[in-house]
Amino acid sequence: MSKPSDLIQGTLDLLILKTIALGPMHGWAIAKRIQQVSKHVLQVTQGALYPALHRLEQQGWVRGAWRESESGREAKFYSLTKAGKTQLDKELEQWQRLSSAVVLVINAAQEV
Amino acid sequence: MAAGRWWDIIRMRCRSLLRRRRVESELDREMRYHLERQVEENIAKGMNARDAREVASCMFGGVSQIEEECRDMRRTEYLEDFVEDLRYAMRMLGKSPAFTVVIVLTLALSIGANSAIFSVIDGVLLKQLPYPQGQRIARVFYRSGEYPKFPLNPWDFLDFRARNRSFENFAMYTHADVQLSGTNGDPVRLSAFRISSGYFRALGVQPARGREFDFSEERPGNGNAVILSDRVWRNQFGAAADILGRKVLLDSQPYTVVGVMPAGVDHPGNSYNSVAYGDTVDAWTPFTFDGNPNNRGAHYVEGIGRLKPGVTVDQAGADFNGIMTELASQHEGDKGWTIYMVPLFQEIVGPVHKMLLVLLGAVGMVLLIACVNAANLLLARAAARQKEISVRAALGAGRARLVRQMLAESLLIALLGGALGALLATVGVRVLVSFVPAGFPRTDAIHVNGFVLSFTALVAVATGLVFGLVPAVQASRTDPRQGLHEGGRGSGGSARQTRLRAVLVVGEVGLACMLLVGAGVMLRSFVNLLRLDPGFQPEHVLTAEIALPNANYKTKDNIATFYQRLLINLNTLPGVAAVGAGTDLPWTGYDENMGGFTIEGKIPPPHEEFHARYHTASPDYFRAVGIPLVHGRFFNEQDTKDSPRVMIINDVMARRYWPGEDAVGKRLTFDDKPKESDWFRVVGVVGDVKDTPESKGAEPAFWWPVLQEPFMSASMTIVLRANSDPLLLTEALRMNVHEIDPSLAVAYVRSLDRVAGEQFSTPRFALFLIGLFAALALVLAAIGIYGVVSYSVSQRMHEFGMRVALGATPWNLIKMVMKQGVLLTVIGVGIGWGCALTFAGVLGSLLYGVSARDPITLIGVGAVAIVTATLASLPSARRATGADPITSLRAE
Repeated sequence: MSKPSDLIQGTLDLLILKTIALGPMHGWAIAKRIQQVSKHVLQVTQGALYPALHRLEQQGWVRGAWRESESGREAKFYSLTKAGKTQLDKELEQWQRLSSAVVLVINAAQEV
Repeated sequence: MAAGRWWDIIRMRCRSLLRRRRVESELDREMRYHLERQVEENIAKGMNARDAREVASCMFGGVSQIEEECRDMRRTEYLEDFVEDLRYAMRMLGKSPAFTVVIVLTLALSIGANSAIFSVIDGVLLKQLPYPQGQRIARVFYRSGEYPKFPLNPWDFLDFRARNRSFENFAMYTHADVQLSGTNGDPVRLSAFRISSGYFRALGVQPARGREFDFSEERPGNGNAVILSDRVWRNQFGAAADILGRKVLLDSQPYTVVGVMPAGVDHPGNSYNSVAYGDTVDAWTPFTFDGNPNNRGAHYVEGIGRLKPGVTVDQAGADFNGIMTELASQHEGDKGWTIYMVPLFQEIVGPVHKMLLVLLGAVGMVLLIACVNAANLLLARAAARQKEISVRAALGAGRARLVRQMLAESLLIALLGGALGALLATVGVRVLVSFVPAGFPRTDAIHVNGFVLSFTALVAVATGLVFGLVPAVQASRTDPRQGLHEGGRGSGGSARQTRLRAVLVVGEVGLACMLLVGAGVMLRSFVNLLRLDPGFQPEHVLTAEIALPNANYKTKDNIATFYQRLLINLNTLPGVAAVGAGTDLPWTGYDENMGGFTIEGKIPPPHEEFHARYHTASPDYFRAVGIPLVHGRFFNEQDTKDSPRVMIINDVMARRYWPGEDAVGKRLTFDDKPKESDWFRVVGVVGDVKDTPESKGAEPAFWWPVLQEPFMSASMTIVLRANSDPLLLTEALRMNVHEIDPSLAVAYVRSLDRVAGEQFSTPRFALFLIGLFAALALVLAAIGIYGVVSYSVSQRMHEFGMRVALGATPWNLIKMVMKQGVLLTVIGVGIGWGCALTFAGVLGSLLYGVSARDPITLIGVGAVAIVTATLASLPSARRATGADPITSLRAE
């Protein structure tokens, strides 16, 4: 349950990076935002979210900082680093290439 | 930008490692925050507090599992495991102290030896010369078929300096000691060089005070200027601030001090009347170009230059050879020479380069043997620890994890050995440097420094991996079921291990044999050198040099009178058997003058001229040095400047130029158109002395009587043969010299034994080290053999008991055990011989009078190895005889 497959893991990285590109966010907010924006199609479990965040942090794409949250308590806010922005562009481009390729294959299969 | 990211990554890793508690608490807070938000959301949805919490926990899943996964993302678990492994390894090593001490000590010895030799190589071969852009400095020599490296002629030098296009600065220098007097103390002899202008610029060093010589000081009559070393300025002139412009007395002549060099200016070394490389020179005076510019026959100055940027030594050599060809067409004396140009670095370290590499190879082999030995000991221990390893495997330790655990142990051992080895190296290098042979270059650059220590650390880690990997992989192959099953006896799967250990021991013995062969042939070579009849008797002889300053001793008569008086006075001293004076001592180099004479009634062979070493000697010189008379007579008091000219030649000269004839009574001359009085008659033939003990044979040589010498030898060596300890005569000699002339320095007072002994210092040094390494290798191999045999005996005790029960005698058992050790050794010796024969060429030029494939040495080494193996197997064999048949039978 908590161990996402490779495809989802790669995609999850992209989703997280894209989400916090808007501004620093803590884990809870990231999960909620992905849920809302995807109209509840994508449910990011904590078991997938936090290891992913920690990995991105260890790889230098995102940076965590403690500050007061909207609820009044301290929370760890994640923001994109400069390297993270470049990485996001790269992953977006890859994703678009991949998804359009998948669409091509699916459409071709329908034509047969 | 990428750098920024890497910085972030490193920061994160360090933080995870070093501030672990803080990172953990943050992780905990992060998880709690999420959980609380979930609870709040649930409450907002209308649940009561308890349900909200329960549901949230349920949705969240296993907190500790998520936390663990987050931790995994830190990528530090390897390191943490490693620290854990190290702790465990320490406990394990502490449990078997004997094993730990043996393995750490052997490693420490070999790593220490490696580091010590490496620090010598670092200082001598790897470090840059202490001159700015020293790689641009080259030495220039003449070369002909007969003389591979010959000094330049000063007039040729001027032409080279004017015409060459390769050097920024081309300069020359020649050894000419001076005597400093008129200071407060006794007169002293200074090691001094006459140099051309630009000499220091070629080296790239500037005087600390004053200036270096300019062209005007090279003109005849302008040369009374001197540059002093920092040492002389401090010791003789009290570091006087007003030293520049002061007049000092050199060889009783006033010289103006124009410069003082900074401390530690290294002399680049020279080959003619050589002074060793290093801070060995105390004064420099200008070389003045007196005399006839067409005299191109005299060779006694050495060329040195700083190449223009981008010009190679080969290009400069071609440039100089072009000029040499031009000169040869202009001057008869310049025919037959080519230029030999060599980088200064190569000229300095060349003579020891090969020896150092051989030493590094030898010490590297010792390290390899120590590795094999350590691997062997670890294997033996792994066999004993099989049960423990099986338990770990059974409890779920993966193979990689087991290998890592074992490697942590071997790394720990290696690092302990490395640390101890670094300590040994620091001490060892000091011992090594104090042992270094005379004339060994750059000894002051030899230190254990950061670079050497990083080398040590690298070697230690590599060693740990090398000797740890095989046992670790072996151990990880343990099948837990089998290991646990047979755990009681701990013998499962050991056939493969036993075989592997045998192979390792064979390799170890092979390497040790190779080293022993090397040490053996070097020992034989050294014995050959020592056994050699030197041709003179160095025992009980005192030698000292005296130079008579030109200003006070203007004529030959002055000089001759001085030596005559001194020798007569010294002869009356009690305890003196014979006293003489001569221009040269045996084995201390020779005058480069060789040809230039004609022999009555003989024509030299084509493309050759008659040649011989030139010397001068007083009547008793030969008796004092101990050179025997072969035929004829020595000089005597009747050989004066007015009597007919006579000379003494050596045996080689007699046999080469008067083969089958009696040389005594034959004549030769140094004059092109000799009058009757210009002929020298041979009156005696003396025994041969080679240039150095390693020379192939003696060269022709002759001696003039002091009173008939055509040149003026202002500098002579006094030789005193004593009845007992010659050094006791030192003070008497000094007093006698000062009684005649208190302004003279008595320099280089040494026993002839010491002079001769210096010739053996290089082979002695190499032999000592190689011998040491070979001995170390032998001990390591013995430990290896002991380990294998002893382990095998402990495995076979049960079997031995059965054999005893069936009637085997103790002798039978001893033979069985011994056979194993000796068999391994015999195979090892075979391999060692093979390798020694294959690599024999490496030692070739380091040996004298013995081949690197010397059969006696090979057989001797084999015998030593087998005896060692027998001794190493003996304790185990004795143990085998204690096998108890009752125990074995009961166990069945």
